[in-house]
Amino acid sequence: MSASAHPDSTDLDRLHSAVKREKADLAPESQPAPLWAMFLLMLVAIIAGGQLGPMTGGWSFDVSNPFALISGGGDPRPGGGGAGDALDPFALAMKKGASGYSVCGGCHQGNGGGLPGQFPPLTKSEYVLGGTERLIRIVQHGLTGPVTVNGQSFNTPGGMQPFGGAMSSQDLANVLTFIRNSWGNEATMITKEMVQKVRDEEKRASQWTIAELLPYAEKNVPGEIPAGPGATAAPAAAAAPAAK
Amino acid sequence: MQTTPSTPDTDLQADNLRRAAIDKSVKVPVLFLFTNGAFWLMLSTILGVLAAIKLVEPEFLGNCQYISYGRLQPAHINALVYGWGVQAALGVMLWIMARRSGQELKSGKSLLLVAAIFWNITITFGILAVVMGKSTSIEWLEMPKFVWPILLGCFLCYAWPIVRMFGRAFRPEGFMVSTWYILGACFWFPWIFITANVALHCLPGLGALGAGIDAWYIHGVIMLFFVPVGVGAAYYFIPKITGQPIASAQLASAGFWTLAILGGWTGMQKYMGGPLPAWMTSIGAATGVLLLIPVGLVGLNHHLTTLGKHSAAASSPTLRFVFFGALFYPVSGVILALNSAFWTGASLQFTQSWYAFQMVSVYGFFSMCVFGAIYYIVPRLSGCEWLSVRLIRNHFWFSVYGVGTIVIMSLVAGWQQGADLNDPEHWDQTFMNHVVNSRAYVVSRAVAWALISFSNLMFLIHLLLMVLGLGRRSSAPTLLHHEHDETALPHGAHA
Repeated sequence: MSASAHPDSTDLDRLHSAVKREKADLAPESQPAPLWAMFLLMLVAIIAGGQLGPMTGGWSFDVSNPFALISGGGDPRPGGGGAGDALDPFALAMKKGASGYSVCGGCHQGNGGGLPGQFPPLTKSEYVLGGTERLIRIVQHGLTGPVTVNGQSFNTPGGMQPFGGAMSSQDLANVLTFIRNSWGNEATMITKEMVQKVRDEEKRASQWTIAELLPYAEKNVPGEIPAGPGATAAPAAAAAPAAK
Repeated sequence: MQTTPSTPDTDLQADNLRRAAIDKSVKVPVLFLFTNGAFWLMLSTILGVLAAIKLVEPEFLGNCQYISYGRLQPAHINALVYGWGVQAALGVMLWIMARRSGQELKSGKSLLLVAAIFWNITITFGILAVVMGKSTSIEWLEMPKFVWPILLGCFLCYAWPIVRMFGRAFRPEGFMVSTWYILGACFWFPWIFITANVALHCLPGLGALGAGIDAWYIHGVIMLFFVPVGVGAAYYFIPKITGQPIASAQLASAGFWTLAILGGWTGMQKYMGGPLPAWMTSIGAATGVLLLIPVGLVGLNHHLTTLGKHSAAASSPTLRFVFFGALFYPVSGVILALNSAFWTGASLQFTQSWYAFQMVSVYGFFSMCVFGAIYYIVPRLSGCEWLSVRLIRNHFWFSVYGVGTIVIMSLVAGWQQGADLNDPEHWDQTFMNHVVNSRAYVVSRAVAWALISFSNLMFLIHLLLMVLGLGRRSSAPTLLHHEHDETALPHGAHA
């Protein structure tokens, strides 16, 4: 494989031709660097600086939000966390309710029409548009057994599951306001306080049946409704956000 | 460098003898590292193919837990980084430093060999443990705890003689250009390695900061170990083969010091917007972009050096690999900047584009430079010439296409994944939809790793034949001939 002893010049000829043909190590020159390259690197430094500034959160160990010092109240969402403040309470509830409705849409469908024979529709349903007390109780604790909606009868196995445990009263109120004012539905707004009131009064663990809910059929949970379109369910105001 | 005045001929002869003696002194450890590294690289690329297939088709080869994606992917990365990367880097560092310093490896050869053997045994156990399900689940540090002190000890066994060679060397003007990168790598790797391992394995209750430290470790290993070794090799071999001195000593110096200052600050931007103090990710992001400066300075220097000499890359295998690797250094810098800056990082965060950065740095840049170095070093150590031009060409082109595909596809996939995840219109999409949407890109990753796997089979076979002394017996180098070769440098200039 190679010479066993130290290589002499004969070995070099035979074994180390690679070494012999090598070029000498060269000292580097001092050519000038082009000016445009320097400008480019300055640009890099400026862009890099843009990552610092307000995004350092004031160099505090307690701030982990890179947007804490930027307008929008430290909320990275478009328009900032305060974006909703510009909307009236009803429009905000409709907007957030539309997002929360994804939980319901799996059965009741995106258009609120339900599935014939399987899941009841929400459009024009007296359970949605009727007393708010009954509606809140259904969603809060679930519903089981046969139910007739818009003249069609349904008896979904297992019924509707309770959502009270999984959603905050604010989320629930938003979704209920949304379904009461979408797809042609028009009804008053349901507020967080209303949902909370029902929650505080009723602590049952089992689902409701339609018969049990009869006393609440026409009952509305008392509570203040913010002035605006949601208070009176004015048709024009309710239709616009519902289209979204 | 020899000071004895004599006729140029005897001077040259003495110099040749001296360099041959240096080569001989480092022969055993360097060849051992290269050969074992090539084996690990082969394994890693095969695991890369399998892991990519498993990501698309989890049932592939059955439901056995040992070959699930979650175990293959870390095994693939650890084999690539520690089996191949660090190991081959140590070989290149030792040889370049010995040559540049003009120092023979005087003593401790057997210690180096023992360290190399331990390195390989430890990694074997470590990767087996990962496959058996004993992974630590810390990215790039998946091997169990017992592995790391041993690896550190083995590394230091190599770093010490390299640093000592530097200390003893006569340092003429321009000596630093490649050696300071090698020297830096000797110090930076243990620093990053110890810091990360002590923090992650010994400090309790790190919480989210642990993830940040891990991201810092990965970027540290890339920017302060793989990058310096790759740049050091490029700075050594480009002038050595083209016969063209490095264009600017000032640029070289600025490129090194900016890297030294900035390299250790980046990484935590991986968790931008996450539960870390905002300034940590902010500094990481700023440094990730600022690192374009050392990258740009080195790229500019190489550009000025090789201006008009590009044809030499057509015939010299070393130059071709080093050129390509040096070309990918700026690419890796740009990808890091894209991943780091808040504007683009918001889309690229937690996507495949981070894999693109890792692969473009470790394979596209570092490994290609090291391949170039190996094509130069091994004939000098084994005393024979590379056998086959075709094997070298296959190795080059399949590697280029493979790593190019991985990088481009991972970037595009990352952009698509990130944009989809951030799109408010997709609020009702399940996460699985995004996974399914990116499958096509993962398929291309599997194909790309298969190409690289094939190229490294060529490389491994070729290297084994060379190490066994079965290379070509000739005094002429193995050149990749080109039809326009005559217009390039004269023959002897290459190799």
